[in-house]
Amino acid sequence: MALDPIIVQAAINAILFGVAMLLVITAFDYIFGWIERKLVAKIHLRHGPTRVGKFGLLQNAADFLKLFAKENIIPARANKIIFLATMPIVAAIFAFIVLILPLQPNLLGVNLSIGLLLVFVLLSFVPILIFIAGWASANKFAAIAAQRSVILLVSYEIPLFIVIAAIAAFDHSFAFTSIVAAQSATWNILIMPLGFVVFFIALMAELERPPFDLREADSELIAGWLTDVGAPLYAISLFIDYTRVFMGGLLVSLLFLGGWLGPAFLPGAIWLMVKVLVVALFVVVLRATSPRMRLDRILHLGWAYLIPLSIVNLYLVYLLAIGVI
Amino acid sequence: MALTKINIGPVHPSTHGVLRLVATLDGDTVKEIEPHIGFLHRGVEKLVETRMYMQSPSYMEKIDYVAPLSYDELYVATVEAALGIPVKERAQYVRVVQLELQRIASHLLWLGTAINDIGQLFSVFMWCFKDRDIVLKLLEEATGGRMFYVNMRLGGLNRDLMPGFADRTYKVLDYLKNRVGEYEEYIESNPIFMERMKKLGVMSREEAINMGVTGPVLRGSGVDFDIRSAYPYYVYEKLHFRSQFETAGDCFARYKVRINEIKESIRLVGEALKKMPEGDALGMPIKLIGPAPKEKEVTVKRELPRGEGMMYMVTDGQRPYRLSIRAPSFINTATLQHLPNGHRLQDLFPILASIDTVMADVDR
Repeated sequence: MALDPIIVQAAINAILFGVAMLLVITAFDYIFGWIERKLVAKIHLRHGPTRVGKFGLLQNAADFLKLFAKENIIPARANKIIFLATMPIVAAIFAFIVLILPLQPNLLGVNLSIGLLLVFVLLSFVPILIFIAGWASANKFAAIAAQRSVILLVSYEIPLFIVIAAIAAFDHSFAFTSIVAAQSATWNILIMPLGFVVFFIALMAELERPPFDLREADSELIAGWLTDVGAPLYAISLFIDYTRVFMGGLLVSLLFLGGWLGPAFLPGAIWLMVKVLVVALFVVVLRATSPRMRLDRILHLGWAYLIPLSIVNLYLVYLLAIGVI
Repeated sequence: MALTKINIGPVHPSTHGVLRLVATLDGDTVKEIEPHIGFLHRGVEKLVETRMYMQSPSYMEKIDYVAPLSYDELYVATVEAALGIPVKERAQYVRVVQLELQRIASHLLWLGTAINDIGQLFSVFMWCFKDRDIVLKLLEEATGGRMFYVNMRLGGLNRDLMPGFADRTYKVLDYLKNRVGEYEEYIESNPIFMERMKKLGVMSREEAINMGVTGPVLRGSGVDFDIRSAYPYYVYEKLHFRSQFETAGDCFARYKVRINEIKESIRLVGEALKKMPEGDALGMPIKLIGPAPKEKEVTVKRELPRGEGMMYMVTDGQRPYRLSIRAPSFINTATLQHLPNGHRLQDLFPILASIDTVMADVDR
């Protein structure tokens, strides 16, 4: 059967882009991991890693080697297959989301006309997978964390979707390239500041970052859904942790901060990376300075504030689009 | 809904040592808590019986490793009472200075760990630790030990204060005053902290008295009872000491009492240093300690950072026949059976933190 050469070319391009992007993700994870450790250490009045490599730059590599060299312990009562499979699947979902996000109009794997929808549909799988992972490890702390994961799902998915509905409606597209192109005059953050706030808070909950880190809740649930995982799986969870910050930064930059738009002396992809880094640093500072919220408070915040605010935002954007304000 | 039993500890990030809590949960609500203790039992009371009086202070310090000097002083004061040895006047002032510095260090450590338990905020923990370290440096300079001091001797001290100690301490006190004010402002202006501490683990005045709790836990429930003012020892009377108390009885009240105690201790140290007379503060050499009268019973109580510490000693010549210790943490920890009931699992940890248990003190 003869294949259409255009499709073959597109497939090869996509694969090449995928490999390149995975390298970018790994590089970002590595650098971000180091920056986070150093920055949080500075806020804590510590030094952070200093011994391995110059400024402790090789510390993360050493940690990953150590974690992967350790035995992968599987709890006796855990459901083996699910326990082992969920973590890589979650990692793959985050990596895949990054793959369908464009870095520049000419630097993208697939230009999907429904990219925005696909990203958030994939994203809403994650809490369910985490629920499954926590349940499968047959640990009570992990099970509690799994239930919290579902609570976060029901309270934060809805405002997130309403905000992206506003974006898609205002920019007349579900494709990231068109959304960024539509921001060439004004960034979305200026058009819908309310939407940005709602989106950012909901995304923090989605990324399981403080103050919404209820699934991992160190001081309560030991390590939440990661309580029983062995060292290699924990290394994957670290990869997930950093990749989703990258993904979150990309989403915020593309949807609200004008993506690759910026003064012409730097290529667009670099501008995008700068914006991602700024968002990521903000996320780290938030982690070091804000305490964890109560579970009922988070539910209350989600239902009593974020959902109404996201609807108000949608309405304001509608008024803006028809030219009333 | 079916009840779930969940085992928290002895190895858990928030139980601070080896406390084990078996919690019965109904969904997310705590139905029943069963504290299990004894993982750190060393038999200190029995150990003391086999040793001469002044061989024991270093064991006493390890009872409460967060505030070792307080236990050191409590034990030495018990022996002094048994042997009838008066404490020199300058030594009384120096002891008060060191005890209050120890209290500041202990409460700062509590503040850091409690905030970490409440909101997973490691930053405040590190800041408090750093400030505590400055206090520990002062104590190290005064006593020669960083963690365990063993500075008390019968009738006085092992070492008097170095020249210039007062000036260095004033500087540290000014710094600490600012820092504590900053922590207070930061914590009380943060709505997440406030809603995680207010109306949590409420202990009424009657409950607090009936359960026999002491220290900041008791004073948080509106009982103005502090050994330093109720049964003043050393020079607390001369120093215009005011005991701190709150009436709400919740986690926030207990936090507030401790913050105010830090401030009061800062003031006390400054005042004691100003009023301190010149003279000799050294205690008796260990080898000169004579036998105590046989079968003399003494009871000494002191306000430790964690509550009322009491020692009951029956003498038997050169060594105690029996030493019984009332450890404040032990009695305060018992309230964990009642306080968290009806709260969410998440709220169990702020309550646990507000009690301020040291497991070495509980188990002895």
